[in-house]
Amino acid sequence: MSFKKIATVAGLALGSLVSAQSNAHHAFGAEFDANAPLTLRGDVIRIEWVNPHAWFHIEVTKEDGSKEAWRIEGGTPNTLLRRGINKRSIAIGTEILVDGYWAKDRTNSANGRNITLANGKKMFMGSSGTGAPEDGADTGR
Amino acid sequence: MNPIKLALTVLLLSVLAGCGPSEQTASPTEQAGSSPFKLSGDVKHIMQWVLDPAVDGVWDSAGSIITAAGTRELAPTTDEGWLAVEHSAAVVAASGNLLLMPGRAVDDEGWRNISQGLVEAGLLAQAAAKNQDSDALFDAGGQIYRVCKACHSVYVQGDEASDLL
Repeated sequence: MSFKKIATVAGLALGSLVSAQSNAHHAFGAEFDANAPLTLRGDVIRIEWVNPHAWFHIEVTKEDGSKEAWRIEGGTPNTLLRRGINKRSIAIGTEILVDGYWAKDRTNSANGRNITLANGKKMFMGSSGTGAPEDGADTGR
Repeated sequence: MNPIKLALTVLLLSVLAGCGPSEQTASPTEQAGSSPFKLSGDVKHIMQWVLDPAVDGVWDSAGSIITAAGTRELAPTTDEGWLAVEHSAAVVAASGNLLLMPGRAVDDEGWRNISQGLVEAGLLAQAAAKNQDSDALFDAGGQIYRVCKACHSVYVQGDEASDLL
């Protein structure tokens, strides 16, 4: 697959617009669907470097050319820092590929597992021990 | 044995007797029944009505929002704002002690360690807010989350596990 601005949602239709941030300290299972893996490709438009989870917002360009915003939950800032990701690691406007799991309420929200940059570099962006599926992305750190 | 040594020996034996297994294994209900505390809510109430709003007050006051327009820091910019965060952090610390009250603790060492960890993390946040140190407040917020996660990984099971964290 070429690195074009497309979003591929595995077996699922795209949802509605990004909702307001819900309660930030929920377990994976309360907010995200382990049976709804998805892959999103888009430009980073906003980073929330906050506790208890960092959030990466991306703008996805759909096949018809329209754009929609998605918000991707990452691990805790401390966890990301231990993996070498800080709030400046991904510049605004950077195109990224995100593997994760869709929100149960089917808003444009997902729990991120891996981020892949245009140069192929992959980074685990999730947290351990949140109840997320053991899909191999989590190295246990 | 001289009288002073005898008195000290009796005192030591009394203290040791007071730390016997029968007291350490008293159930939470038994603890509550013999204490001067009157429980005003269970652990879930403490979480939802006391700790959660307070910890949000800490978490929402530290960190950065980065967009194409620039970076917005979430730390307070006024003395009043910092005082509000200090208040929230103090409630977080006090929540740890509330969890230690007889009738709430579900076991001994593990619960005590985590509850004391919450007190310590809350005090770190409180000191950071008092010093108006945004970096220290952010770190303390991370420490609070680690305590929360450690607790939930042990004590929150089944369906309720998906309600929190």
